[in-house]
Amino acid sequence: MIKKSLIIFFLILVSTNLFASETVKIGTYDSFAAEWGPGPIIEELFEKDCECDLQYITTSQAGTLLGSIFLKDKDIILGATYDAKKFDDFYKFQIYDYGYYAFIYDENILKNPPKTFEELINRDDLKIVVQDPRTSPLGKGLLTWISRVFYQNEKETIKKLNKQIITYTPGWSEAYGMFLEKKADLVLSYSTSPYYHQEYEGNYNYKALIFPEGHVKEDEYVIIPKDSKQKIIAENFISFLGTQEIQEIISQNNIMYPILDSATPTKMKKLPKPNEVTSQSVNKDLIPLWLNATTQ
Amino acid sequence: MLQLNKLNNYTYYLSPFIVFIAVSIPLISVFYLYDLNKGFESSNYIFSITFFSFYQSLLSAILSIIIGAVFAYLLIKHNYIYGINFLTNSLSILFVLPTIITIFGVLSIYGNFFQIYGLLGILLGHVILNIPLATRVIVQSLKDISPNERILADQMNLNTWGSFLAIEWPVIKKNIPSLFVLIAFICFVSFTPVLILGGSPKYSTLEVAIYHAVMFADDFNVAFNLFTIQILICGSIYFVFFRNFKSNNFIIDDRREYKSTSSISSKYIIDYLFLIFISFFVFSPITFIFIKGIGMTLFEVLSSYYFWSALSTTLIISCFSGVLSIILTYGNLVCLNKNNNSSEFWFYILIIFSPGILAVGYYFFFNEIIDSSIPNIVIIVVINSIITLPFAYNYLSPSFFRISKEHQDISESINIYGVRRFFLIDWSRLKEPLVTAFCVSSILSTSDLVIISFFGTNDLSTLTQTIYRLMGSYRMDEAYAVSLLLLIYCFIYFVISYKLILKKWNT
Repeated sequence: MIKKSLIIFFLILVSTNLFASETVKIGTYDSFAAEWGPGPIIEELFEKDCECDLQYITTSQAGTLLGSIFLKDKDIILGATYDAKKFDDFYKFQIYDYGYYAFIYDENILKNPPKTFEELINRDDLKIVVQDPRTSPLGKGLLTWISRVFYQNEKETIKKLNKQIITYTPGWSEAYGMFLEKKADLVLSYSTSPYYHQEYEGNYNYKALIFPEGHVKEDEYVIIPKDSKQKIIAENFISFLGTQEIQEIISQNNIMYPILDSATPTKMKKLPKPNEVTSQSVNKDLIPLWLNATTQ
Repeated sequence: MLQLNKLNNYTYYLSPFIVFIAVSIPLISVFYLYDLNKGFESSNYIFSITFFSFYQSLLSAILSIIIGAVFAYLLIKHNYIYGINFLTNSLSILFVLPTIITIFGVLSIYGNFFQIYGLLGILLGHVILNIPLATRVIVQSLKDISPNERILADQMNLNTWGSFLAIEWPVIKKNIPSLFVLIAFICFVSFTPVLILGGSPKYSTLEVAIYHAVMFADDFNVAFNLFTIQILICGSIYFVFFRNFKSNNFIIDDRREYKSTSSISSKYIIDYLFLIFISFFVFSPITFIFIKGIGMTLFEVLSSYYFWSALSTTLIISCFSGVLSIILTYGNLVCLNKNNNSSEFWFYILIIFSPGILAVGYYFFFNEIIDSSIPNIVIIVVINSIITLPFAYNYLSPSFFRISKEHQDISESINIYGVRRFFLIDWSRLKEPLVTAFCVSSILSTSDLVIISFFGTNDLSTLTQTIYRLMGSYRMDEAYAVSLLLLIYCFIYFVISYKLILKKWNT
């Protein structure tokens, strides 16, 4: 009897792997699809009209969204950053929101925040948590930012900054989580992050460091891969993301600037918007540079 | 009849042949893809990682052995304390539990007090993981000390230090070289602790660096170089050290008993403090996970789809790798039985192929060389079962060689070979070591994070990987809950395997 029921239990467990209904599979990063992210509302609204089943498949390492392993079997990819090498191969792509990389701090804890990027690099008393450039667009964005502002001596800059970095986390969520638990003074995120604390927690202590040297802008893309099995629905989804209603939801829940200016929430409008770095980056392989700089 | 015999003779070699092919594929595919024109580019990144892999593994081994030896000495000396034998025995369970649980515990507890990322974290993790192994091995050999020696020491009125030097130290010293090589090796190819607690490329092992280079940096040449260094170093460690140490020390055998004649006394207060402190240190991560795991989130996890999907994948992987592993081990043992001397060689040489090495090789083979439709789960099972062969061998070989001496002639004279021989003759007497080997292989496959990182997808994820992903998304409460469930899973797995197969419901 026990043996039989165990065998049945085993079979039921194994069979959960086999169920797969006709769905639209959207690959995205974890915070987009989290219950406090824009994913669930968008799913509900889109499914109303389309009579399809949107299914989010998430990774905490947004840098892997365009990797061949993650791309497999996905009908839509949400949240990838531009990559010249890979974008030629896609069926269609479109920007749906954007943001500026910035360091966030709690003004009650960090009383003397650095005023310039230069000062941040040259300090030695800060505990900073950033994302791993190999797995996260933010981490890679930091390298791009450094290479544009300090284009003569990136390596020295990375070395100096590295001394203040506690850890390179695989993705945004872990880094921001550590920061909120006060394990770090500064975290690399987007300049819009304080909006979240103002809007949802009524907390105005969190601020972004706005540097006079300028910031780097990041566009987030929605992509239809060539192998997408649901191209028509996917195209509808792209135009759906561009509507006023959804743009508002995205900016309020993904905490990024919408591409439709009119959809920007009031509190987000009041946040200081950084200037873009004027100098262009010299085309360099930044990750090997970073690896060599951090291991010296 | 003669023809059939010949055929059967060839089936002897089937199992070693499979293992040989299974380890050749990754090697050949990596070197096939090696871009010779680029050659070996040495960078301070590669040098630094190689150096750090060595450095941390030596430190970890030294610390684990020192603390393990003190712990073992105290455990034996004070084994009159109620419950201390239970403590000693539970150390061997601690050693086979999934690494990620311990490491997650270390991160959660000690991360609150120290800047955990980097060398400190890695050492903490490795030491806590390896103390149980060191302690077990030393405890076993301390039990071998004859009571006469202790009586003699008493009669000579040696003080504690003097009797330690005269009696225990020589025994402990004998264990140090082999333990040192084993623990240093485990830490050298370490993946999970370094991935989670490293925090920066500076604090990385070759195993983790290969994973990053292949999966994220798209830098195959660096991956190839790291791969070659890893193979060369593991190979040298094997040929220089492992072959000189017999594995007998590591075979668990609990029959020896030793009773201490002392009783609880205030003069041992420092000893007791040390005992409490080390026990607390070793058990802290797992206790912490246990406490944190119980809560409302547990129900949330139990009602989530991802948990059950990960559980079913884990179950499939552990069952099938366990079965495949013991089939291959048994097959190899039958084949190698005839020339006993080289059999150990064929098993232990597999140690050179760390999980990362095999995973990278297969990853290249299936993604770059051939376009196959083999499901990833099959690849995961195959690699896991190859990786666990040396461990299965450790548990199976003593009993196998003992009974095969008795059975060999009989089965050959009545023409029973292969599968029939297994079921008719060996099965009934090999049941228990087979189940143990099966369980150990299964649980090792369960705790794997390397292979699943290469071949896992979002729909194909094990509990171990789920914990890692939840940590990455900073859903810590869920990660605690899944860790607790993984602990329970391992426990139930052991119990069911033993009871079902051995049909001993009462024991």
